[in-house]
Amino acid sequence: MIKPIFRIKIEQLVRPVFLILLLFVILLQNSHAIDTPQQQGISIKNPGSDLWREVRQRDTAIQGTTQIKSVDSNVLINPQADRWTRFRVDKLINIGFIVLGSVIGVILVFFLLRGRVKIEGGLSGNMVFRFHDFERVLHWVLALVFLFLALTGFTLLFGRTLFIPILGHDIFSLLASSSKEGHNLFGPIFMVSLLMMFISFVKRNIYEKGDLTWLLRGGGMIGKSHVTGGFFNMGEKSWYWLVILIGFAISATGLILLFPSFGQGRIIMELSHVIHVFGAIILITVSFGHMYLGTLGTEGTGESMKTGYVDIKWAEAHHDRWAKHCHDNNLVITADEYARLQGKGKVGYEPVSTTAGESGK
Amino acid sequence: MIDPIIGDFIDGLLWTFSVSVFSVGVTWKLAVIIFSKRQTDLSVARDSALAGAVKTVFSRFIADKGTAPHIKLHIIAGYMFHLGLFALLLFAAPHISFLDEYLLGFSWPALPHWAFILAAEIAFLGLLMLWLHRMLSRVSRLISTVDDHVASILTFVVMLTGCLALMESFNELRLLHRFCVELLLIYFPFSSLMHAFTFIPSRAFTGAWFGRRGINS
Repeated sequence: MIKPIFRIKIEQLVRPVFLILLLFVILLQNSHAIDTPQQQGISIKNPGSDLWREVRQRDTAIQGTTQIKSVDSNVLINPQADRWTRFRVDKLINIGFIVLGSVIGVILVFFLLRGRVKIEGGLSGNMVFRFHDFERVLHWVLALVFLFLALTGFTLLFGRTLFIPILGHDIFSLLASSSKEGHNLFGPIFMVSLLMMFISFVKRNIYEKGDLTWLLRGGGMIGKSHVTGGFFNMGEKSWYWLVILIGFAISATGLILLFPSFGQGRIIMELSHVIHVFGAIILITVSFGHMYLGTLGTEGTGESMKTGYVDIKWAEAHHDRWAKHCHDNNLVITADEYARLQGKGKVGYEPVSTTAGESGK
Repeated sequence: MIDPIIGDFIDGLLWTFSVSVFSVGVTWKLAVIIFSKRQTDLSVARDSALAGAVKTVFSRFIADKGTAPHIKLHIIAGYMFHLGLFALLLFAAPHISFLDEYLLGFSWPALPHWAFILAAEIAFLGLLMLWLHRMLSRVSRLISTVDDHVASILTFVVMLTGCLALMESFNELRLLHRFCVELLLIYFPFSSLMHAFTFIPSRAFTGAWFGRRGINS
């Protein structure tokens, strides 16, 4: 028979268990007694919350001190930037979408309703010289650079919303990076082209007597009688000044954004961004109209920036004062001569006047 | 994003192939021009042909007074494009380090970033103006061939992809640029782009011919 090593009585086991339970109950009661007044009246703040409230600065721009001397370096967090971000994401992008989409829609509806505006009686084939090589080159340099900037700018502004769901993050990041580089690279080329455009065309785009009538008559759309125009009509002049003025505003704000180390603060940068985007949206929307009129919208307009010549009937319909000047100065060339000048004429054909057409303004 | 096999192909086999086509093509074309059989000039030399050749190679950098007023756009845009391209090609930091590592084994000072950007902008504006003039001017349009347009567009695309890859943050952009360069290298010997090399023997030949006859060309 095996004898037990320890002989433990039941009383010996019960006593410590009872004591532990008693201690637990007392502790539980005490802890409850400590908790109750805390919940009722004493609140201990997170010591970090005040600090971060100060750092965030809420609506006020509290400026601290720092040894780093540069613009805004004494402001740890700028709450204005949050407002700007919200404005950019919630409003600017939506406004841009709506405006661009609406203009495309309006042009489409207008084209469906009105169709192509044709020259009454048709084109004659007799031509008159309108734009020199350099002027056309300048127009297309500006146009191509503008389109490139519009596309890259569009990617930068709308890309997150529009392209990420389609292309995914990886491809979009590549597209955004190259768009940013391209936008920054071609921006200064736009400025130089714009300056050259301003110098080359300014003289013929100064408003003159009769331009207001053209505007009030909607370029001939209101009323039945013909509305007169010179070398450039009121609509073209207004487009020119819009391009020049908004173009320079976009250029100036673009420079502010491109060189952030020239002492401009965050608020100036944010304001510049808003002006830059709004200006670009205005120019792009109006350029849709310009492109429409130059291609589908009006018969015979596109030739002026392609070959430099326009049909005399087109000139009479849209720029009658200038057309009269061309007639008076014998600047109109025949269809045969025009074909010869374009390298499509009969071999051996001798023109009546080769240079007369190119001297007219 | 790009399959590594495509990347390896662009960096490896296609690069070797394009450089080979370029080197052999250019050498062959120059050799044909230089060693082609010409009629012996039997006239008595009045002056040095060599002096005439050297003089003409450099004097042709300036347009003659009679022509210059009529081709201002060509002169200005032409110099803008060629000088800009020269700066991009030989003084861009990524190009110098590439040539140092893979070809030459030595380097030289690169343009600072701002100067690189400026050179690129000047080159782009010049090339755009030249190409548009080719398209829009009736005389230029009539004497231009498809090759001229392809050469202009290919050069533009090479420059553009290079500038877009400038930050070197995406390998795909670098590969795209390199692929375009390889297309250009393959196309180069068979196109009007050969004028980058042939302008020297061309001018020298004319200069020597006139120089030998004592004509101030």
